[in-house]
Amino acid sequence: MADPQGADPARQVAAHLELRGVSKRFGATQAIDCADIVIRRGSVHALVGENGAGKSTVGKVISGVYAADSGSVIFNGRRHRFRSPRQAFAAGITALAQELALVPDRSVVDNVFVGVESTRWGFVARKDMLQRFRSLVERTGITIDPTAIVRTLSVADQQWVEILRAVARRAEFVIMDEPSARLSAQERGQLHRLIGALRDQQITVLFISHFLDEVLELADAITVMRDGRVVRHTEPASETAGSLVDAMIGRELEANFPPKPPRPDPSQVPVLRVRGLQHAGQKGFVAPRSGRSESPPRTPQPAGLALDVHAGEIVGIAGLVGSGRTEFVRSVYGADTALAGDVQVAGREVGRHRPRRAIALGMGLIPESRKDQGLVMDRSLRENISLPHLRVVTRAGLLAGNAEREFVATAASNANVRGGTVETPVRLLSGGNQQKSLFARWMAPGLKVLIADEPTRGVDVGSKRSIYDLLMTAARSGLAVLLVSSELEELVGLCHRVMVMREGRFVAELSHPDLDEARILRHAFGEKAAAAQIS
Amino acid sequence: MTDPTTQSRLPTPGRYLAVVARYGIVWVTLALFVLLAVTTDGFLTGPNLRNVLDQQATLLIAASVATLTMIAGGFDVSISAVAVVAPLVALRVENATGSVAPALLVGCLFGLGVGTANGWIVAFARINSFITTLATSFVVFGIGYVASERSILRPDGDGFQRVARTRLAELTTATWISLAVVAVAWILLAGTRFGRHVYATGGNAEAARLAGVRTRLVVVTVFALSGLASGLAGVVAASRTISATPSDDFSFVFGVIAAIVVGGTSIAGGTGAVWRTLLGAFFIAFMINGFNLHQIDPIWQRIIQGLVILLAVATDAWSRARRT
Repeated sequence: MADPQGADPARQVAAHLELRGVSKRFGATQAIDCADIVIRRGSVHALVGENGAGKSTVGKVISGVYAADSGSVIFNGRRHRFRSPRQAFAAGITALAQELALVPDRSVVDNVFVGVESTRWGFVARKDMLQRFRSLVERTGITIDPTAIVRTLSVADQQWVEILRAVARRAEFVIMDEPSARLSAQERGQLHRLIGALRDQQITVLFISHFLDEVLELADAITVMRDGRVVRHTEPASETAGSLVDAMIGRELEANFPPKPPRPDPSQVPVLRVRGLQHAGQKGFVAPRSGRSESPPRTPQPAGLALDVHAGEIVGIAGLVGSGRTEFVRSVYGADTALAGDVQVAGREVGRHRPRRAIALGMGLIPESRKDQGLVMDRSLRENISLPHLRVVTRAGLLAGNAEREFVATAASNANVRGGTVETPVRLLSGGNQQKSLFARWMAPGLKVLIADEPTRGVDVGSKRSIYDLLMTAARSGLAVLLVSSELEELVGLCHRVMVMREGRFVAELSHPDLDEARILRHAFGEKAAAAQIS
Repeated sequence: MTDPTTQSRLPTPGRYLAVVARYGIVWVTLALFVLLAVTTDGFLTGPNLRNVLDQQATLLIAASVATLTMIAGGFDVSISAVAVVAPLVALRVENATGSVAPALLVGCLFGLGVGTANGWIVAFARINSFITTLATSFVVFGIGYVASERSILRPDGDGFQRVARTRLAELTTATWISLAVVAVAWILLAGTRFGRHVYATGGNAEAARLAGVRTRLVVVTVFALSGLASGLAGVVAASRTISATPSDDFSFVFGVIAAIVVGGTSIAGGTGAVWRTLLGAFFIAFMINGFNLHQIDPIWQRIIQGLVILLAVATDAWSRARRT
């Protein structure tokens, strides 16, 4: 945006931004592995890949949220090492975050010009700001009431405000991470026109998206990532949704999964029976906000979900981030209030919003975030494991220390928890051992249904294998297991059956011999083009 | 799972430091006690120590139970209001009926009622507990003025003062009551299912809920108990001084919070213990006792007391920051 006409013409055709050998590691996870990406000035460059392929991390390295471990970021021909989003911003790089970063109680103009207000003798000059706002509107084609309070706007309008803010700061490189995930079809159209307008202004857009049709329609160039590595640089003309999906998966099923226990007879009475369940994830991805610009609900009145899980069976729940996987299992457990429907464990009704009741009937949930929802980090392994079982170790109203220690020691060794004594605060354990301590908590006598939401996220390879073994042990001992995972190979390697979710609903049920990564992904994306590729 | 070689991930000097920091209040209180015993005439005598115990009784009653509230993640400033007003209500009953037992009962039930109301508002209306109890404090102080008709109340008979002033085995009944309350709070927190639920709720309420803890019930209960204990503390205080005065004086709760925080219970919730509050209270009490025995100007006493509290909270914040 900074006066492209005046820039060196040679540089204009060359890279606007280039990553050379960039790597970034988080604990045991190699989020980006030696990535080389060249992004031309004024292009719309799409970045695609599975969940966890490293797309968002690339965006965050460019925008200064993370510092790369090695490699360099070359922007406008100069090597940069941004230590904060502020520095990247000053250089002309703006990221529209997955979570919006606006001041909700201030007006649109105030948000657009925050930090670059027009002033006269130290006072804010509103008229001048409104003038500047109008010229922005002309350049971008966004129409929005400058005096509206941001809190009252729809999610889409809030994104426009963020984009206006970027343009107002003379940003020349805009990163959009899943900008359309929360938009209605109509709003997506607006977004696409806006991206076109930015391109016309010679503003480069890095576009991270799960929506492959969108990518094929908008992008000038596409980079496909897998497991932190760049696997393909390509152009939309030479790709289809199906070919992109193949590039995103592209690996052999690794043989590091324990053998599956035999699939139980489906004519048996199921242990977990879900009928007509409607959950929060079906209502659209963001709770509707009150305000003047209303967005139509994304989905028509949804039907409830139904699912049976038998003793000894592992059922996977697949879907993209935001497809409602977590919301579904949380409603089954009663962690979130289901809107309708009923859940039974071994024939007994769970009720709609009572984790306590679910536990009493034999359910256990290993939640998505062990740190925020699973463990009390400052307390000991002992207290964390025994928390739902204290009644068992109480004698005459008082906790019996020996009974508790014995209970916990058995549970911890069954779940292969290492790296401390039972008195160690769980925050000192590694991520893998923290996760295993949650297995230790639940895999006690009386458990009938185990729900694990992303149990291997952020866990080292060794612990991953232990967790796979634990899931298999659970199934073999007659538990009904429900496994949510973003890792397709895990779902294929561990589950008897996989339910694929999209927009809050089950869109496919896959089992042997149809259970493979490509089919899961195609149903998860849901493109007709991709579905056609299967045959 | 207990491989002895991996018992702790901290290096030895770090582990040593951690133990010192963890039980800091024990060493510091012991050191102060020894220092005063050696240097200060009149400190290590039966009458002086018994006097300290008697003076700390009301604070210990309120603080030991308020420790549970703080560990559960709550902050109760209505302790002052309840401790001021419960004895006024109790003395009105004593004056009307002439008997002590109903007076005690009504005083305690008054505290229980206010505490339960606080807990409901915090748990179900989800209003910040500091703000909630600040607001209810004003209401309660107002009730005190109405109930007492703005005058000092005194008991009609001798029975009321015997509640706290009777001597049993050298100690006053006020001391015995406070020790009993400390014991109950200690056992409740450290030895029961409820106590574990208090820690879990304050440490991570969402994780606790998903593990089957009724977190809102826990919050209501700790505030109710805190109100009950504050009412009892107020009645014991009135029995010691044989009178009760309406006021809107918030100072009592500050002493209570100082004892809890100096003891090492975190204001962030999730960690702490009743024995810590016991030590915190005695650390401050010994300090003041020492000052008095040395006849140090009370103005300087306040300044030093303030700095000690700051130091305690800073130590907590520092050890917390090192964890992440």
